Amino acid sequence: MKRDRQTIPIAAIREENSSLRTFTFETSLKAMPGQFIMLTIFGQGEKPFSILDVTKTSFSMTIKKIGPLTERLFQMQVGELVSIRGPYGKAFSTRTDRVLMVGGGYATPPLRFQAKTLRELEVNYLVNINGARSQADLLYVPDFDDYCDRSLIATDDGSLGHKGTAVDVMDAVLSEESFDYIYISGPERMMKAAVEVARKYEIPFEVNLERYMKCGVGICGSCVMDPNGFILCVEGPVVDSIKIDQLEEFGVSHRDKTGRIVAL
Amino acid sequence: MQFLGKDIPSPLTLASGILGISFSSLQRIIRDGAGMVTTKSLSLEPRIGHEGPIIAEFEGGLINSVGLTNPGIHDGLLEVEKFHKEFDGVSIVSVFGGNATEFVRLSEAVNHSNADFLELNLSCPNVEDEFKRPFALMPEKITEIVAAVKSVSQIPILAKLSPNAYDVALMASLAEDAGADGITMINTLGHGMVIDAIAKRPVLRNNFGGISGPCIKPLALKLIHDVYQKVQIPILGTGGVSNGLDAVEMMMAGASAVAIGSAVYERGLDVFKITRSEMEAFMAQHGYSDYSDLIGILQEN
Repeated sequence: MKRDRQTIPIAAIREENSSLRTFTFETSLKAMPGQFIMLTIFGQGEKPFSILDVTKTSFSMTIKKIGPLTERLFQMQVGELVSIRGPYGKAFSTRTDRVLMVGGGYATPPLRFQAKTLRELEVNYLVNINGARSQADLLYVPDFDDYCDRSLIATDDGSLGHKGTAVDVMDAVLSEESFDYIYISGPERMMKAAVEVARKYEIPFEVNLERYMKCGVGICGSCVMDPNGFILCVEGPVVDSIKIDQLEEFGVSHRDKTGRIVAL
Repeated sequence: MQFLGKDIPSPLTLASGILGISFSSLQRIIRDGAGMVTTKSLSLEPRIGHEGPIIAEFEGGLINSVGLTNPGIHDGLLEVEKFHKEFDGVSIVSVFGGNATEFVRLSEAVNHSNADFLELNLSCPNVEDEFKRPFALMPEKITEIVAAVKSVSQIPILAKLSPNAYDVALMASLAEDAGADGITMINTLGHGMVIDAIAKRPVLRNNFGGISGPCIKPLALKLIHDVYQKVQIPILGTGGVSNGLDAVEMMMAGASAVAIGSAVYERGLDVFKITRSEMEAFMAQHGYSDYSDLIGILQEN
C-alpha cells in the first residue's frame, strides 16, 4: 500500500498573534487550497491541519494553540522533527470569474491560499471579506490587499474596518455588486449564516467544513456526516452548495471523539 | 443467497471497525453494494480509543491501533435503530466486553434492538494493556463467554476469532460447542510494528497494532479452510480481501460470506460495488450460478 508519510524538521516558525503561529517545512507538497495534512508529534498524537501556502520547495500552516498537541507544537523549536502525511481531501474549485470570499477568525488561512491561487490564475474580479473579533485577531491583511481587487474587514468590536460580522459585510457587498461564486471558511455558525445570505442572492458557493478526524483517509468513520454518510476527510472538507443541502447536520450537530451525536 | 437464514443480495460484508460508527455510513455501504454491515465494536460505556496515529501503511497493508473507539452500547444501538428505519439491510452488531458478564449485558441490550446478528469481538489485539490477553486465545474463555451469551441472546451470534491462537480450528469448534451460530474470522494479525527510521520511533502512537490487508490473506484462507473442515456453522470470512477473486477464493476455502475492511482504504467505498461485479464476472465465466455454489468447494492436492 502507498506510503505517503514524511518525517521532516520544522524549518521556520513565525508568530502571527498570541495564539497563532505559522510553521514552515522544506518539502514539496502538491496541495491545493482547502486541503489538509495529518501532522504527528512523536509521543503526543496526530491531528489534521489546513494548509496555508505551498511553494516549489516548501509548505506552511498557520496553527492555533487549542489543545495538548498544539501546546506541545508551540514548545517546539526550528529543527525538531515531526511527521506529516497528505495532502488529503477535496480542495476549493478554481473559479476565475467574479469571486467573493468570506472568512472568519482562524479559518482564513485556506482563503489566503485560495486568493493567491486565483490571482495566479488571473481571476477576473476577487473580493475578500476578512472577519475577526478584533484587529489583533485579523490574519494576512496585507496579503489579501495584494491578491484581491477589494479587501474588506469586519471586526466584532469595530477596532478595524466595519463593526460587525463578515456576514453583515457580505450581505451589504452582495446588495451592491454581482458575483458568480462565493468561497466561505469560518466557524460553522458563521458559515451557516453566510450560506443563508448566499442563497438569498442565489449565488453558488463552497464552504470549508471541520469535523473530528482521526485517520484522514476515509476508513475510521470519525468525520462521517449524517444523513447520507458523507466522508468529510476524503469527500470534503470543501463542500459545494448542492451537497451542503443534503448534510442535515451542518450547523446543527457533530459527533464527539467516541462517535456520539452532540449539538454544535 | 442466505446467511444464517437471512436473505442477502451479496455475500460482501462491511468488516467491523471500518466506518461503522454511524447509521448513515452503514446505510451508504449497503447502497454501495454490500450484503451486510458490521458496526464498530460497542462496549458498555463510550470509548475515545487511542491517540493518533491510529493507522500506518506498509507495503503489505496496514497496521491499526484504533482502541475500540465507539459511542457506547446505548448510543450505538440508536444508530442501529436508525439504520433499520425504512431501510432494507442486514446488520451485525459487534460488541466488546471485559468479561462474560459484560458480554451478557451487551447481548441483553442488543436483544432490545432490531439488529439481525450479534458478533462477539473476542479478539481485539489493541486493548491488551487494559483487558489483558484477548479471549480468543483462551479456550476456557471462548466457552464461557459464548455459552453465557447464547443463554440470553435472542438473535444468532457470531464469535470473532483471532489468527494468533495456536489452533484456531479448535477455538472455532469450542465456540460451536458453546452455542455459536457462526464464526467470523480472522481478526487482525499480530501485533505488528511500522518503524519511522528517521525518527527512530514506531509510527503508531500506541507503538503496535493489528496487521490487516493483502499480506494476511494467505493466512486467512488457510485458517478458514481449517475451520470449515472442523465445524458445521457458517463462516463470515475476512482478512485481506480487496477484489472479487480474493472473495471467490475465500468462499472456496469455506466462507459463506466475506467481509471487507482495509480495502476500503485502497479502493474507496466503491470497493463493494467493484468487488461484487468482479465476483459475478468470475462466476459467469466459470459457470457458477449462485454465490453459494462457491462455498467450500476447494479441493486439496
